[in-house]
Amino acid sequence: MTISDQELLKLQMECTMFFENNPYAYETAKGLAKKLGRGIEPLQIVLNRLAAISILDKRGEGNMAIYSYKTPYTQSEVEIH
Amino acid sequence: MQETGLGQDIVHTGVPGLDVLLGGGVPRGTTIILEGNPGTGKTTLGIQYLLEGARQYGEAGIYITFEELPEQIYRDMAGFGWDLRELERQNKLRIICLEPDVLLDQMMRTDGLFEQLIREIDCKRVVIDSISLFRKLGGLETDGREQIYSIRNIMRKFDLTAFFLREYGETEGRSTPFENYVCDGIIRLSLREHLEKYRKRTIEILKMRGTCIVEGEHHYRFMNDGICILPALSMVEDKILNDGVDRLSTGIESLDEILIGGLPHGSAFMLDSNSKANYNYLMNSIHAERLRQGDCVLFMLSGLSSIDTLEQTLALFDVSLKEAAAEERVFFIDHYHRKVAPEYEKLVIYVDRLSNEEYQKKVYEAINPHFRETMVQGKRWFIHYDLNTIISERGREFVKRNFADEMARCRAAGITVLCQSNFTEIGLETSSFLERASNGVIRTWVDGSYQYLQITKSPGGRMSAPHIVDNIRDRPYVRLI
Repeated sequence: MTISDQELLKLQMECTMFFENNPYAYETAKGLAKKLGRGIEPLQIVLNRLAAISILDKRGEGNMAIYSYKTPYTQSEVEIH
Repeated sequence: MQETGLGQDIVHTGVPGLDVLLGGGVPRGTTIILEGNPGTGKTTLGIQYLLEGARQYGEAGIYITFEELPEQIYRDMAGFGWDLRELERQNKLRIICLEPDVLLDQMMRTDGLFEQLIREIDCKRVVIDSISLFRKLGGLETDGREQIYSIRNIMRKFDLTAFFLREYGETEGRSTPFENYVCDGIIRLSLREHLEKYRKRTIEILKMRGTCIVEGEHHYRFMNDGICILPALSMVEDKILNDGVDRLSTGIESLDEILIGGLPHGSAFMLDSNSKANYNYLMNSIHAERLRQGDCVLFMLSGLSSIDTLEQTLALFDVSLKEAAAEERVFFIDHYHRKVAPEYEKLVIYVDRLSNEEYQKKVYEAINPHFRETMVQGKRWFIHYDLNTIISERGREFVKRNFADEMARCRAAGITVLCQSNFTEIGLETSSFLERASNGVIRTWVDGSYQYLQITKSPGGRMSAPHIVDNIRDRPYVRLI
């Protein structure tokens, strides 16, 4: 089965939103597939891509690899001298 | 955190009413199963345990969910006004979502995800929702025993006090699930039919190691700010009789405990016993304790109890009635004009062959001067009032007309009264009236081969559970179990 880039992009958005809304979710591709109701294979591609661009953290490899959200650094106050 | 007398570190759940049932809380490092059918509030209670831990006791907690999405939990709990995301920002809480096999794998690893999370927020409390899924981890041949046993041990290793949620329906009807042996406590939430059209929510602690629990089913309600448990056998408290009132020991330690220190000074208590129940030791222990404390006591003698028998029984409690008589601290009302030893003669008020009006007048005139004199000396008064004798000698109508008034006068004068009666013999109407006019009721009865005792009414608003009255060899000869 080939997956179009557009489909992957949509899935990437869905994954990003999932981790943003559940910042302490630690998911394997299999676990996330169950929660999102998506296939494991495209999810694995997307999750690795998100890990590569530092949106997700990845620990471990293969089926037991766990993905979690890397909370973006935000600064709400700036001191001006 | 609280250290008990045994040096045990107690974790307060902070859930209103739950710590009362748990005798203060649960020992640190224990693992408790929280079971119930869907909709009973397991998740809410689990989250509330973590939330109160963070808010009231500064203890961080982790909620691990396998099936529920954290965002759903954030939304649901916002309904109680709980901002869980804010607690996460403050590092006081984590709502973790992951698969059971991943959790176990990470728990078993040195410096795995679980250890890192504990360190990160200095976690003290954990809730796992739910352990039912571990049953499937080992494949069809196993029941997840090893996995749950490992998790329980990991909780202990890190000194984490954990609640494991479990679907009750899954275990119903089966032989006792192994988790029940592995874990330290079991709390069950139920939804039952109530008053035909309603359903009541109840909580029951089925097992708890290391703490003394309040047994039985207790109601709980979902309030605007979470679950509130209403310990059973408790009623509206009588503040006036409880605030700063001295307690008079009954001389029976276990009875004092359920009376929260003893009989409140200036209260009227009823001792209701059926003919089979032996109330003599209870009654005489209370009398002996009053005399030992230097109080003045007015005894109403019954047909069966004379001064002689009273003297002998009190001697068993190492109290000399003669000495109290010599100090003019004991007085007797006798309806049967029995001959007494010379040292008691001037202390007996004979009321035989008197009309009810004459009886009242005579007792009042005989006691009042002593009462005034001793009250000036700061002495306390105690009256043993035998309602069975009064009813048989003065009539039911006399009691109905005067009892409430007499008790009110005694209370106003700071006199403590213990009335002895047999509600079954007296009848429902009169006994409910007597019960209303009293501040408390101690009921003792025989059922089968045991005698029971229960506080069914008290100014503190608390009823006790029925206790078994056990005979012991030494004073006070009875104890409550």
